Amino acid sequence: MASPAAPAPRITNVDASSPSRRIPQKHRLPKFLPIMLGIVFTIALVVLSLFVGVADITDTAGRGHEFLWITRVPRTVALVLSGASMAIAGLIMQLLTQNRFVEPTTVGTTEWAGLGLLLTYIFMPTSGIFTKMVIAIVFAFAGTMVFFAFLSRVKLRSSLIVPIVGLMIGAVVGALSTFLAIRYNLLQTLGSWFAGRFTGIEVGRYEPLWIALLVCAFVVIFADRFTVAGLGKEVATNVGLNYEAVVLLGVALVSIVTGVVTVVVGALPFLGLVVPNLVSLVRGDNLRTNIPWVFLAGIWLVTICDLIGRTIIMPFEIPVSLVLGAVGAVVFIGLLLRTRRTSAS
Amino acid sequence: MSRSTRLPVRRVYATLAAVSALVLTAGCSSNAPAAGESEASAESATSDVEEAAEDTAAESCTYPVTVTDMAGNEVTVESVDSVVVTDNRMFATIADWGIQPTAAPRTLMSPNNPMKDDDSILDTGSHGEPDFTKVIEADPTVIISGYRYGDHADALKDAAPGAAFIDTTNNEMTADEYAVASTQMLGEIFCMQDKATELVDQFHTSLEETKAAYDPAMTVMGLVTSGNEIRYSNPTDGRGASIYFSLLGLTPALDQDGSTNHQGDDISLEAIAESNPDFYLVLDRDAAFAGSDGEETTPALELINGSASLAATPAVVNQAIYIMPADYYLTEDIYAYMDVLSGLKQAFEAQK
Repeated sequence: MASPAAPAPRITNVDASSPSRRIPQKHRLPKFLPIMLGIVFTIALVVLSLFVGVADITDTAGRGHEFLWITRVPRTVALVLSGASMAIAGLIMQLLTQNRFVEPTTVGTTEWAGLGLLLTYIFMPTSGIFTKMVIAIVFAFAGTMVFFAFLSRVKLRSSLIVPIVGLMIGAVVGALSTFLAIRYNLLQTLGSWFAGRFTGIEVGRYEPLWIALLVCAFVVIFADRFTVAGLGKEVATNVGLNYEAVVLLGVALVSIVTGVVTVVVGALPFLGLVVPNLVSLVRGDNLRTNIPWVFLAGIWLVTICDLIGRTIIMPFEIPVSLVLGAVGAVVFIGLLLRTRRTSAS
Repeated sequence: MSRSTRLPVRRVYATLAAVSALVLTAGCSSNAPAAGESEASAESATSDVEEAAEDTAAESCTYPVTVTDMAGNEVTVESVDSVVVTDNRMFATIADWGIQPTAAPRTLMSPNNPMKDDDSILDTGSHGEPDFTKVIEADPTVIISGYRYGDHADALKDAAPGAAFIDTTNNEMTADEYAVASTQMLGEIFCMQDKATELVDQFHTSLEETKAAYDPAMTVMGLVTSGNEIRYSNPTDGRGASIYFSLLGLTPALDQDGSTNHQGDDISLEAIAESNPDFYLVLDRDAAFAGSDGEETTPALELINGSASLAATPAVVNQAIYIMPADYYLTEDIYAYMDVLSGLKQAFEAQK
């Protein structure tokens, strides 16, 4: 009966779906501010990492200050390089497999690198670190290609099947490594190679990690191609991209990073998984603008975990892989639950 | 690969486990070691043994012999016709005394032990995959078992119910007390007290000489190297250097309790360098895989000498580094201790 005097404003589809956090034009922050803040935070962490440790690097009378260049700088550089490169390796893997739960440690790349390392121990026991690294990289590459070959055979590309296939291959390779390690009494050696740690990083032992910097540069250059490849083979081919070549390049880059980091530092679990996902959660999916954030977040995560491991039981240390595993597992489960919730609602 | 050979073993093991679960072996005394049962004196009361036990044959001995095993149990040994030994700390002594076991985990023997490649000794396999069928086949009169095989005591008793079971488990004694007491126990079991006494005397002499060579002003740090990493081996516990800290009264460069395991603790190179050790006592866990092709390099030495952080520590400057024998973790017996002691003695004397 009562006729509405003033009709309520109609809610259109456009309004409903538009992001609620639209900032009015005049309050919008300058575009580069967030990334500047991110960089400042990273620099702060790096400085902190330089000043945390057993030796007193401000002591110029004794030998303390020498350790700035002997261990602190190498260790911090190693943290930055391995954090950034492992995070980006995860991002590439996720694009190429079109799956959020994939990274070098969940598709067996790390296990293959470890197998290569183990075989060099058995057959070329006196080989240097460079030989070990090259062989680890070759194995990581071959193994990751095996995973992709498997994946192209699997018709069910659901988000869980892909990492399960990867984990299965990884488990088989890991079992083979363990068998060989037991046979040749190398189980403990294998264990200590694998546990990711920055404890022994010093001048002369971290330099191969600079290779990871080159890889990161490559990723930035080819970012767009990876993005297109991430849309699937059909789309990529339609827009004139050589899909196979891009996949091959991606696998090569991931293998190099994984091989180098596994040999120099050890396995860094969850890093490639957690970082790209967190960045996407906060910023949405835009590879080109996300790349710097993936680099930065990777550096933050590894550095913070290493600082925790470095200080919690001084003068001893907890391997960064342990801290990462604990932190990463929590974040990973949180991500899973969150995606479940959002897909359920 | 070895699945076909492994399955039956598994099955036997499973049945053994089932049997041992069903038939709760009565009279299996719990090994509560009598507190402080360290026999300091070498001469323990023995049955009348003829002095002629010089040769390897144990025929001149009057069995049965009753001995107290390392866990404190009174065990009567009827004969030593067929001996099964699983404790790797006994292998060197037994080989040295010319005793031929019928079965033993040859997998756990040091490559330097002549018994390792002796196919007449049935191989019971590693403690991870023990093959108890070999024990049944050996039909032992005595089983000397413990250490890595410590968890398999019941299975061994089931495999050879008639055998006298000598338990070598003892967590009360210090390493040197254990080495001495277990040597004397072996002497009693095999009626070779003379040889045991001789060995113990050698050990004590070696210990005194090394003590005399050590200057307490020299600070020592124990390290464990493995997989290209340098770790800390603490002076009070664990299987690496700690034994020698207590034996010789070494002065620790860094007196921090670490873990009690055999892999050492993660420690930053800075912390090692800060404590400025005069001497490194190193257990190299990879040594067994390095110099195998006749090369005189040890990974540990390369690692320590190649480290920029440690380059300025007196131990590296003076090359005061002693690396334990490559097979140390496979032996850990009185011979190994004497090896290390004499090696340390030379290293200490070289620093004077």
